Amino acid sequence: MSGLAIAMPPPPAADRRIPGNHGIWVGITCEFVEFALLFSVYFIARAHYPEAFAAGGARLSSLAGGAITLLMITSSLFIACAVVSLRAGRRRRSILWLGAGLLAALGYPLVKYLEFGWNLEHGVTGGAGIFFTVYYYLTLTHLVHAFWGILGMLWALGRHLAGAYTPERHDGLEALASYWHATDIVWLAIFPLLYVMA
Amino acid sequence: MDKNAALPRRPQPNLAWAWCALVGLSALGALLGAAFHEAGWLPAAVALVVWLKGTVVARAFLEERQAHPFIRWVLRLFIAFVPLALLLVAVLGRSAG
Repeated sequence: MSGLAIAMPPPPAADRRIPGNHGIWVGITCEFVEFALLFSVYFIARAHYPEAFAAGGARLSSLAGGAITLLMITSSLFIACAVVSLRAGRRRRSILWLGAGLLAALGYPLVKYLEFGWNLEHGVTGGAGIFFTVYYYLTLTHLVHAFWGILGMLWALGRHLAGAYTPERHDGLEALASYWHATDIVWLAIFPLLYVMA
Repeated sequence: MDKNAALPRRPQPNLAWAWCALVGLSALGALLGAAFHEAGWLPAAVALVVWLKGTVVARAFLEERQAHPFIRWVLRLFIAFVPLALLLVAVLGRSAG
């Protein structure tokens, strides 16, 4: 027994947890670095072309921007509830929360599709000016990251239904949740920069 | 060994409050932008709203306070990046003008 006790790693301190796993935090750090670079492009362009940025936002659909914001924070809430429910041993409820999070997240590409259609009808293309080039660059990159998150949700939902996660071991579900919350943080910065400030 | 032993095991009221705070802050930011488009203090107000929203997500959803110090610093640096850049561009733009 003492040999077993020595072989066991010590539990992490309460303030040194890795939510999910190491790999997802490498990915999230890369995502943050990528968007920090893209935001730098936004601010450099904004400093050089203040008039284009002051006028650009008025030509975007603030309804679409607001709807995506609501969908992102709601799906983040549902996925956080999925993790906490599983910790409480409520597996079925956790699966339902995760399914609800997936449904809310699927609304994002749908609204973005409608928004891009509305943009094209109103002449808002990538060549319409520096503001719109930056707008498409930022929002399309974020949409790609959201697609990875949605694929991750599908994978985690399949694993959850197969019984892969338990209240004690659910690193995969928590990794997905961490990635989605990080992607949410990025959108919560994009929304005011493009739809509010401009 | 349960690495989640110290974490909440029931859906916390603070998750719902966090959602309400995020909706409220997003609406506040949009209203400020629409009503005070030309105001000189708008970038500072929006920077504060962006920082608050990121902090709410990090604390309530990502459980930042229990996370490894590296994760805490990555989150804090990224969440502070856009507000600081907004303030910097606003100050430089004003001094250039």
